[in-house]
Amino acid sequence: MSSRRAPRGEYIETDTGNKVARKATLVGTQNIMLGGKTVIQPEVMIRGDLIRTAQAPSQAAAGAAPNNTAVSIGRYCFLSRGCCLRPPGRPYKGAFTFMPLRIGDHVFVGASTVVQAATIGSHVHIGSKVVVGEFAIIKDYVRILDGTIVPPHMVIPSFSIVAGQPARLIGEVPEGGIDAFELRDLYKTVGNNPHPAPV
Amino acid sequence: MAALTPYTFIQCPCSDSSTLGRPSDANPAANATNDDDEEADEDNRTFDPRAPRSNFSLYPLEYLLYCEDCHQIRCPRCVSEEIASYYCPSCLFEVPSSNLKSEGNRCTRNCFQCPICIGPLAVTSVETKPDPSLLAAPDNAAAPHSGPYALTCSYCHWTSTEAGLKFDRPNNIHAQLTKLRNGGLTRLTARERRERRKDPAYRAHLAAAAAVAVAAASEDVDDVEERGRGPGIEEKESLDVETQFANLKSFYQAQLANPNSSDTGLTGLGDLGFSSPTSLSRIMSIYTGGSLRDKKAKSRVGAMREALDADEGFQPARLDESAAIAALQAHGFDGTSSTAQLAEQPVNIGEPAFPHGQAHFASDLRPVPHLLRTKRSKRCPVCRHIISKPEAKVQTTRFRIRLVAGSYIPSIAIRPLALSPIPNTSSSFSSTSAPIPTSTSASASGPAIPGALLEPLRPAHFVLTFKNPIFESVKITLGAPAHTPGRFSSKVTVLCPEFQIDANTDVWDEALKEGLATTGGGAASGERDPRERRRRRGGTEDGSQSGINPTTQLEVGKIWERGRNWVSIVVEVVPPSLSTLPSGGGDSGLPLQEDEDVLEIPLFVRVEWEAEMGGDEVGSVMPGVGGSKEKGEGREKRELAYWCVLGLGRIRR
Repeated sequence: MSSRRAPRGEYIETDTGNKVARKATLVGTQNIMLGGKTVIQPEVMIRGDLIRTAQAPSQAAAGAAPNNTAVSIGRYCFLSRGCCLRPPGRPYKGAFTFMPLRIGDHVFVGASTVVQAATIGSHVHIGSKVVVGEFAIIKDYVRILDGTIVPPHMVIPSFSIVAGQPARLIGEVPEGGIDAFELRDLYKTVGNNPHPAPV
Repeated sequence: MAALTPYTFIQCPCSDSSTLGRPSDANPAANATNDDDEEADEDNRTFDPRAPRSNFSLYPLEYLLYCEDCHQIRCPRCVSEEIASYYCPSCLFEVPSSNLKSEGNRCTRNCFQCPICIGPLAVTSVETKPDPSLLAAPDNAAAPHSGPYALTCSYCHWTSTEAGLKFDRPNNIHAQLTKLRNGGLTRLTARERRERRKDPAYRAHLAAAAAVAVAAASEDVDDVEERGRGPGIEEKESLDVETQFANLKSFYQAQLANPNSSDTGLTGLGDLGFSSPTSLSRIMSIYTGGSLRDKKAKSRVGAMREALDADEGFQPARLDESAAIAALQAHGFDGTSSTAQLAEQPVNIGEPAFPHGQAHFASDLRPVPHLLRTKRSKRCPVCRHIISKPEAKVQTTRFRIRLVAGSYIPSIAIRPLALSPIPNTSSSFSSTSAPIPTSTSASASGPAIPGALLEPLRPAHFVLTFKNPIFESVKITLGAPAHTPGRFSSKVTVLCPEFQIDANTDVWDEALKEGLATTGGGAASGERDPRERRRRRGGTEDGSQSGINPTTQLEVGKIWERGRNWVSIVVEVVPPSLSTLPSGGGDSGLPLQEDEDVLEIPLFVRVEWEAEMGGDEVGSVMPGVGGSKEKGEGREKRELAYWCVLGLGRIRR
């Protein structure tokens, strides 16, 4: 294990507890907000450069500082190897613009998954090789199984289990299953000196 | 073959009528106290996980609830549900139940699903439709499009123009859709239909259309006959299901109100008049056997006629299928609608050509309004206490009451145990960091890799980790049959069938205790402790193993590992050979059935603990578990016993 690790440590650990892999590709880092305790594994790509170009009229009129956040991620999120977070875009007032991608807390994004959602709530598990289409809205406590394609503009309500191409509701998260969305323990298992997973 | 991850299913007591509502059943308790594994066999009540009935009673722990008043597990099948609120899964608006009665169980806003692929539909302008996703937003002011709108699927690029549906306004699509028929024709409400029939221009138009149709479709004999006989106007009028039902209903009610209607149009039901008491008595006499008064009654009862025209709900059967045949020849089988697509279509979709949503062709399918979803609270079937109650508001995810079994009964985690020369690497503990190398941990005693196939006739070991969720220490007694039921019987040995798990104490207490214990440990945390304890353990060899590292051999009756609120034990299984069929079995010649190669162990778990006496249940519990509690401290002994099934893996064929 230790021989494979880069000498400086595979991850950069920030003051707020984020663990960002050195091999992750973060574009436009000034537009990416991390809430803390978030793990970004190697080969993850976050497109922070795709910022909103057309400002909302209220903001432009008030002359407020432009809100350039492209991707905002809450606490205890886990971005697995090779996934991509990309803000969705559409024409707005005659010009093409991107809109911010918001992710809540305890969101797991599986390997090789592409996320272009508008909003992802808290306690969401997205499997591997999933495509979340543009402007999809995923509410809290949702489980998206591996290989799902969530079509653009789809709304997935809370406590849904979706799968398929296109995604369809296949079940509901049972009452006893909502603790499984916690990612605190998973957070501890990665990093430069990982702890073993508790029993 | 897909790799099988080990699983634990728990049997809900609702499938066993004898234990329903009686948590302290004396029978299994008496068995479980026998320290041997044979007790289940002796009692002849071994649970067979492959029995067809078992399918309906086995659940993962997360799906189970727990009734605190009955002290029993409850499963999704036995709880009774009450709907707290209805909401649309797309727009997340709550629908009041009064609306539900009037408008049905589908969303009446702009929420539609694609009839082809069930993706969400977006409203787009028909004029400029380069990319549906770009124009989907209603506040799109880039192209000030007016003109007709259509619903577009951004997944499969179906648009409602394929069914000939265009909308004048981008909002209130549902109301517009109910008035639109496929092909863009307007669908009339009952009042409009009545008014239109009085319009002379419309009559002339219909008559002309009928004449054209007669000239054109002269090959259809039925159609021509019908047209020659009927008045020709109303019959051509096609009704949708709701209108037809309304017409028929009013017609029959009028018939019932008028008992001696002599207007015998069609004598479909003969002389049966349903209205008068005499006919009722006559019908009764048919069934009771007495047929004396029949003839007398017959003469008196006026006949009830059948519906004659569209106003009365009469619709001629559409027997001319030449158009459908031609379309089938043109589009082929791919152009037809699938069963799944038809199932998605609502019944009262308002298209008269296929009255029950049975569109034959994919091009006839209409947009599907979203079905509403519900939030439900759950009640115990026995004591009627609520055991799960979500907040009624759609957007909140909190629960007011949530009594899940996971916080009352121990969870069981299964992990294959590699008795390899290097068993103490951290590879089996860190689940996410790296896959376990296969070559180094290849061992004589089973798969180290989760999901690997089990070798027949070679003992494999699994670590079962029981984790105690409650704040009392519990005593667990396990019972498993020595041979699993079924055609291919595996030998099972639970090496430690009886043990104690410490309470799920406060994490704070534990951290303080840890700090005292590991003063000079540095990085050594509490999690490493048990492994060291295991390493230090010595003793005699198990005997069944060969070439095991002496530091890690198994001992009968000893716990494998122990932690704050968990205990790991080892189960040894010897999988059968699936190729050599057991001798003497009547069905031994049958081929291997689906999932028959999965090694499943039925395991009887009995949990005993001492709990605080609840205030309201003193009276009810005292006679049941009498004698086993100290009254002074207000504590009582509790026990819970249930079957569970451990799915360990697939056996190599």
